[in-house]
Amino acid sequence: MTVSLLQILLNGAASGGVYALVALGYTLVFSVLGVINFAQGALFSLGGYLTFLLMGGRIGVNGALPGWGLPAGLAFVPALLLAAAGAGLASLLLERLAFAPLRRRGAEPLLFLITSLGAGLALVNLLQILMGAEGYAFPATALAGLPDSINLWGARIRSIQVVLLAICAVVVVALTLWLERSRQGKALRAVAEDPTTARLLGIDSDAMVRLAFLLSGALAGLGGGLVGVSVSLAGPYFGIGYGLKGLAVLVLGGLGSVPGAIAGGLLMGLAEALVPAEASGWRDALAFAILFAVLVLRPSGLLGRPLREKV
Amino acid sequence: MPTSTPPSRPSVTPSPPWPEAAAILASGLGGPQQRQRGALRLALLLLAGVGLLAAAGRQVDPAQRPLPAAGTPGSDLTIGAVIALSGNANLYGQDQRLGITLARNWFDPEVPGGLGQGPSAGAPTGGPPAEAPQRIGSKRIAAPMGAPRRALKLQIEDGGSNETTAISGFNLLINRGVAALIGPTLSQQAFAADPIAQRRGVPVVAPSNTAKGIPQIGHFISRVSAQSSVIAPLSVEEALRRDPTIKRVAVFFAQDDAYSTAETAIFQKALAARGLNPVSVQRTQLADNDFQNPITAALQQKPQLVVISAQAVDGGNLIRQLRELGYRGLIVVGNGLNTPNIYPICQRWCDGILIAQAYSPELATPINRTFLDLYRRTNAHQTPSQITAQAWTAYQVLHEAAQRLQQRGGFNGLRLGQARSALMDELLAGHYDTPLGPIHFQSDGELVQGRFYVAEVRMGPDGRSGRFTLVHETSLPPPATVPPIGR
Repeated sequence: MTVSLLQILLNGAASGGVYALVALGYTLVFSVLGVINFAQGALFSLGGYLTFLLMGGRIGVNGALPGWGLPAGLAFVPALLLAAAGAGLASLLLERLAFAPLRRRGAEPLLFLITSLGAGLALVNLLQILMGAEGYAFPATALAGLPDSINLWGARIRSIQVVLLAICAVVVVALTLWLERSRQGKALRAVAEDPTTARLLGIDSDAMVRLAFLLSGALAGLGGGLVGVSVSLAGPYFGIGYGLKGLAVLVLGGLGSVPGAIAGGLLMGLAEALVPAEASGWRDALAFAILFAVLVLRPSGLLGRPLREKV
Repeated sequence: MPTSTPPSRPSVTPSPPWPEAAAILASGLGGPQQRQRGALRLALLLLAGVGLLAAAGRQVDPAQRPLPAAGTPGSDLTIGAVIALSGNANLYGQDQRLGITLARNWFDPEVPGGLGQGPSAGAPTGGPPAEAPQRIGSKRIAAPMGAPRRALKLQIEDGGSNETTAISGFNLLINRGVAALIGPTLSQQAFAADPIAQRRGVPVVAPSNTAKGIPQIGHFISRVSAQSSVIAPLSVEEALRRDPTIKRVAVFFAQDDAYSTAETAIFQKALAARGLNPVSVQRTQLADNDFQNPITAALQQKPQLVVISAQAVDGGNLIRQLRELGYRGLIVVGNGLNTPNIYPICQRWCDGILIAQAYSPELATPINRTFLDLYRRTNAHQTPSQITAQAWTAYQVLHEAAQRLQQRGGFNGLRLGQARSALMDELLAGHYDTPLGPIHFQSDGELVQGRFYVAEVRMGPDGRSGRFTLVHETSLPPPATVPPIGR
C-alpha cells in the first residue's frame, strides 16, 4: 500500500518545479515594487496558448477565427522560448497600461492589487474570445523521440515531466546566477533593496521595474507552455489555478525571496505528493494547511526576512 | 464654575447631494458630521437608484399572458435551450448545440428567422444542408385543415458549466416566455436550475442529465438521457467478459461533480456485485489536469482494470497520463467521456477504452439514417456522438408533442402557463421514434428506452480522430417508477 519514497520525491519535484517558476515571477515584481501582480496566472495561460499556436495548433470552433493557425509549426523548444518572450512582452505592456500610471501617482499598494487583478481578468477574457473556451491538447509528437515515461528504480515519471523539471531547474539556476553576478541583476537587487538609494547611485529604477515585469511574464509564459504540453490547456482559466498556487508558494517561501520561492515551490509539491491515496480528495486542503501552519509559526515565510518598521 | 458655550453647530449650505457625496468619496475630507451626512445621502441615493432599476426591470410573469391566436404576429412558441458553451463542460455543449440546431432545421425548416441565438451562444453551427435528405422518419404533423400553424422558434443560451450560470440561463429564458426548456448540460446544474423551472411550471427536457433523481425533481422535469445506473454496468460486464481473470480494479472519479460521484457509486456497486472490491479509489477534481500523484498511487496496486467517472477534459487527460505512465490494462469510462471531443485530448491513448452508450450510429432506422445524413453533411462525414443524438431527441420530442397538441387545436385560448402544462402532459403521453430508438416517458418523466450498446474507441492512424465502434447491443427492462419529489 506504500508508495515508494522516490516516487513521492519525483511527483513532488515535478509539480513543485512549476510552482517555483510561477512564484519566481511574483517574487521579481514584488521585490522591486512591493506589490503582488495578480495577472501572473493570466500570463501563464497566455504562454500555454502561444506555445500551442507556435507549434502549429489551430483555433477551435468557439474561437474568434475558427480553424486559424500558423502555416507551419515550430519545434517544441523554439516555440516555448518564443511563447515565453511573447508573455514577457505582454507583461511589459500590462506594466505600461496598468502599473506605470499608478506608480507615477504614488498610489496605494492596494490599488496595484486591484488593477493587476483587473488586467489579469481582461487578459483571460481576451484569450477566451480569441481561442474559445474549449480545451486544447498538444500533438502527441510534441516530444517525438522520447518515450512516454521513464522508470527510475521502480518509480515512474512521464518524460515530459522530466523535461519540465530540467527546464525549471535550468531557469532557476540561470536566474539566480544572473541576479547574483550580472550588472543588471545587481541593479535589480539594489532597486529591490532601496529604490531611493539605487536612484541616487545612478540606477534607472523605472528600467529595472520594466525588466522585472518582462522577466516575470517570461517565467509565467514558460511555465504555461511547459504545463500545456504536459497536461493540455483546459481553457483560458487554467493558469489561474497555477497562479494561486504560485501565490501561496510566494507567501510560504517568504515574500520577495528567490531561494524562498524555490524552496516553497518544492515544499508545496512535496506536500501534495505526500497525501496518501485514501485522502487524495484532501490534497489541496493539506497543502494549504501546511502553508497556514508555516505562517503561524513563522509569519515572514520560510526564507523571508522579518520586516522591521523604522520609527 | 466655568461657563461653557456649546459648540456652534456648523452651518450646512444646502447643495445637491451627489456632488457633496462624490466630493467626500474623492477626498475623504470634511468633518465627522459632514461625512456622516454625506454617507447617509449617498446610501439613500444608491437605494433610490436600485429601487428605480428594480421598478424599471419589473416584469409581469409571462405565464399569465394569453397566447395570441395562431398565425398572428407573436403567436410562435419558443423552445429555449440552456447548454454549456463555456467552461469545462463546453465540449458537451458544442455537441448539443449541433444536435438541437440540426433537429430544429429539420423539423421546422420554414420558420423565418426561427433560430434565435442568444448573445452568448457563439457562432452557430449546423446550418441547413444544401440538399436535404428525403423526409423519412419524422412524423410531421400538420395543424387542422386550413388552420394556421404555430411555428416553433429556438433560442439558445450559454448555461456555462456551473450552477449559477445555468440558473441565470433558465431565469432569462423563462422570463422571456419560452414554452419549454432543453438543458442544462450537467446533472449538477440540473439539481440547481430544474427546481426553478418546476416552480414556474415550465417543461424541461434534459438531454444529458444521467444522475439519479433528475425527473423526480418535479412533474415538469423529464429527460431523454438514460440513467447511468441503467447503462454504466454494461461496460464493466464487457471488460470482465474480455478478461475474466480481473481481480484488481482501480477507480478514479471527480469528487466535485455530482454526476461523476453518482456514477462511480454505480460502477462500484456493479463491481461489488461481481465480487470485485477496488484496490485503489482516487478522488480527483474537474479542474485537475496533472494526475501524476493519483495515477502513480493507483498503479502501485497493479490494477488490471481502471474505471473512470469524470468529464471529457479531465477524463481525457487522465487516460492519456495513465497510458503514458505505463498502464496497459483495460479502461472503462463513464458517460462523461461519451463524446468524440475526447479524441484530441487523449489522442492515440484513447484507443481501446470501453464505454456503455445509449446511442449507436449503427442503429438502422429511418430517423437515425436521416440524423446521420444531416450530421455528416455539416461535419465532414464524421459520426455523431450520443450527446448530439440525445440533444436532437430532446428537440424532437418537444416538437412532436407541440404538433400533436396543435393538431387538436390545443393551444387556442390558453395562457402561456396553461400552454406549458398542456405541452408537458402531451410530452409524457407520447411515443417517439428517435435516433436513440423508440422511446417514451414514465409518468414521472423518466425515460423508457429499450436498447443500449457497449462501444470501444478505435483511433485512426493520425491519432487525433477516431470512432466509437459497436461491441454489442443489449435490451434492458424499463426502469422502476420512482415517486416524484416535488410535484
